[in-house]
Amino acid sequence: MSRIELTLNGKAVSADVEDRTLLVNFLRDAQQLTGTHVGCDTTQCGACTVLVDGRALKSCTLLAVQVSGAKITTIEGMANGEALHPVQQAFSECHGLQCGYCTPGMVMAVTDLLRRNPKPTDEQILHGLEGNICRCTGYINIVKSVKRASELMAAG
Amino acid sequence: MPDHAHTPHAPFQRKEDRRLVTGHGLYTSDRTFPGELHAVFLRSDRAHAQIVSIKTDAAKAMPGVHGVFTAEDSKAAGMVKVMCMLALKGTDGEPPRVPARSAFADGCVRFVGETVAMVVADSVAAGLDALEAIEVEYRELPHVVDASRALDAGAPVIHDAAPGNLCWVGEAGDRAAVDAAMAAAATVIELSVESTRVIPSPMELRCCAATYDAANDHYHVYSVTQGVNAMRIQIAFAAGIPENKLTIHAQDVGGSFGNRSPHYPEHCAVMLAAKVLGRPVRWAGTRSECLASDYHGRGNQIAGKLAIDKDGHFTAIQLDWVADMGAFITPAGIASHTRNPVVLLSGVYRIPAMHGRWRAVFTNTSPIAPYRGAGRPDVNYMIERLVDEAAAKLGMDPADLRRRNALGLGQFPYKTPTGTTYEATDVPGSLEKAVRLADWKGFPARRAEAKARGMLRGIGMATFIENTGAGVFPKDQVDIEVDANGMVHAYSVAHAQGQGHETTFTQVIADAMGIDTANVLLHEGSPEHTLIGNHTGGSRSLVGAGSVCKLAGLKLIEVAKSAAAAMFDTEPSQVDYAAGTLTDRVSGKSTTLAELARRPEGLKTQAEASIGSTFPTGCHIAEVEIDPLTGTTEILSYVAVDDCGHAVDHTIVEGQVHGGVLQGVGQVFAEKAIYDEETGQLMTGSFMDYTMPRAGMLKHIVIDENCIPSKINSLGAKGVGEAGCTGSLSALSNAMADALRPLGVPPMDMPFTSNRVWHAIAAAGGLK
Repeated sequence: MSRIELTLNGKAVSADVEDRTLLVNFLRDAQQLTGTHVGCDTTQCGACTVLVDGRALKSCTLLAVQVSGAKITTIEGMANGEALHPVQQAFSECHGLQCGYCTPGMVMAVTDLLRRNPKPTDEQILHGLEGNICRCTGYINIVKSVKRASELMAAG
Repeated sequence: MPDHAHTPHAPFQRKEDRRLVTGHGLYTSDRTFPGELHAVFLRSDRAHAQIVSIKTDAAKAMPGVHGVFTAEDSKAAGMVKVMCMLALKGTDGEPPRVPARSAFADGCVRFVGETVAMVVADSVAAGLDALEAIEVEYRELPHVVDASRALDAGAPVIHDAAPGNLCWVGEAGDRAAVDAAMAAAATVIELSVESTRVIPSPMELRCCAATYDAANDHYHVYSVTQGVNAMRIQIAFAAGIPENKLTIHAQDVGGSFGNRSPHYPEHCAVMLAAKVLGRPVRWAGTRSECLASDYHGRGNQIAGKLAIDKDGHFTAIQLDWVADMGAFITPAGIASHTRNPVVLLSGVYRIPAMHGRWRAVFTNTSPIAPYRGAGRPDVNYMIERLVDEAAAKLGMDPADLRRRNALGLGQFPYKTPTGTTYEATDVPGSLEKAVRLADWKGFPARRAEAKARGMLRGIGMATFIENTGAGVFPKDQVDIEVDANGMVHAYSVAHAQGQGHETTFTQVIADAMGIDTANVLLHEGSPEHTLIGNHTGGSRSLVGAGSVCKLAGLKLIEVAKSAAAAMFDTEPSQVDYAAGTLTDRVSGKSTTLAELARRPEGLKTQAEASIGSTFPTGCHIAEVEIDPLTGTTEILSYVAVDDCGHAVDHTIVEGQVHGGVLQGVGQVFAEKAIYDEETGQLMTGSFMDYTMPRAGMLKHIVIDENCIPSKINSLGAKGVGEAGCTGSLSALSNAMADALRPLGVPPMDMPFTSNRVWHAIAAAGGLK
């Protein structure tokens, strides 16, 4: 067991975890933050993507002990009360989700993409979505969502 | 907290979106239970073998382990059956052979991934450690993983109850009439195709949990599902318990596409453990487990013949169909491989003579269940590939050949030679729309331009018709009630897995009642409402439960009028209803739905209707460009014109088409479940090996509608969930054939991976 201390969705958290505990399991099981999903075993699908110090990382491929000291944002930490984050807002407006299972990971990946590149081209958007699989939408509306989120964030 | 500006409200927002985009959905794998234990499964690592012995003592003694279960336990509990809901009789008068299937492999394993044993432990980690302590001694048996080879004389027999591995054989149509038409035809086109075995892979991993209430001898099962009713019937049957001893719970379901409709052995396994151990037991599969043991889709090898007279009219069609069932039958049985293709054997055409033979075959592979379209894309793929090969042979424009043979609006209702009556639709109109949107006439110039760049350009069309699911329950019921605040609540057992029922069904009710959608809520999977009704499948939910929502809204108005009349001491005929308010025409007194709901008897009713199949149609056109140096293909344009009847929400309709088309793109260009013939191992056992479609495989899509409302339901809806798959397999494959034909590449099958395309071009002598 190891002691970890981190900032989780703005709150200080400290916990004892088994060394082999994956970050995604720590979030889902120990912290009951079940918005972060598991969709594969091989770091392909991105459903588990969270922000670690602002960078989108796949929480199925990180040990909880690796992020001690970091600031973690999960999907539950994105909205500001009733007001959705612009990326969440854009996914909803553009029908960028159907079953919603991949959506939390998509939102986190897109948030990081737009942080790094606020006005991505189509090709840059497709490149930015390479690590996230959606089985429902055909991605067409997800690409639209990214563009809409970029607009919303530029507007302010 | 990110410090971006937040937007107060959205122009489009599904009712389900708020919880799903904020991480507050409740998927089955999100549920936890006080005192829960975790199940993990030992699965067969070989395709076909006798189980000589299973030693579990060491595993049972491991720390944190509460129980280890095998076939001995499931057999003792009577969990030995698989439901086959549609037992159609074959030409030999026999229904499909349905081999017994215990929750765990009983004496023999028949595919890689089959459940052999289960450890139930305090944690998943403790369970996995104990799995390694189970010793299974196998005696290898010869296996067969290809359906055609399974029919060969001398092929290994998988079930004693199915000699020759034949699960079912059936015929439809008039063989003699077809033989005569073939003999008299000016042209006969023959083509064999394979609609490949794919793995549906919804993003939520398959999972379930069970609790057992000993005092009432009652099970609660929590599961991914397409509808709690069908799931309850299936699991009760498999577990050998009465249906009223089982309640199914589900809220959000992370995709399905047919795959979450059937019951699975893991359901019985966790129920068994929950009862024996007296604790809640939950299981969540890994992706590798799911790829190996989720039921797969398609897997149809089809040989087709199309007869054409000297004027280019189709005179006969004949199919010989081998359907891979995998190692066991699943609840939909052979229906998706046989019934749907029989219903649609005519395609969108007038073809006077039709005949088909279907053989359903057992192989040492994961069982096959319906997958988005369930035989409809497969039969359309066969027919539309024949049509395009015919056009090429006749030197005709494929659009013209379709114009000559397609049923026109004036020819409905049309009864096909296999007995289906098609509803009115306008395929020729959709074709003309699609041809315009795709600039079909301008294609030769685009092909020439591409050729000058050394690229191979192709265009492909598909016209299609599909039957929406007729339903396995006799009717669809919807409960509707108003609460004390005036909120209207509707209850349905159709269960969305991404289709957005909470948005569209409530819109239907709001429209029927003249009230704001914000004042209507839909509840699916509410066990206290024991409704008769179908699960979501076969594109039927808006047609079925959705249209009954309209009836429920209208009926509730009548109930409210009667209640208001009693309050006003008048006749219901003297009460006017508008936008939730009821007014006495004479006295001018008024009341509201909320006020009526506050009476002791409340305000509620139930509506129902029996609704069979509708017939969505469409015309899709795809344009592709192949780089012959690498074999890679880019989809340059995709046009989909659909007749889905009345559309409640066009954004949601478009989303369904997008998703369906991309699943078709996946099957045509990338996805395929591959079993190694020599070892019987699944070679596509992770997302590193099984190619899931990614963003960018289809960059643009043009969608239009050409809708003729259905007359068999109150909404006029026809359904759209599967249209994207049904049109895209054919349109994309025809486009690829068109691109490759000038090089002399013979007709090739999906998947058109760059490797296979490059080799096909090379084998044909390369660029000329």
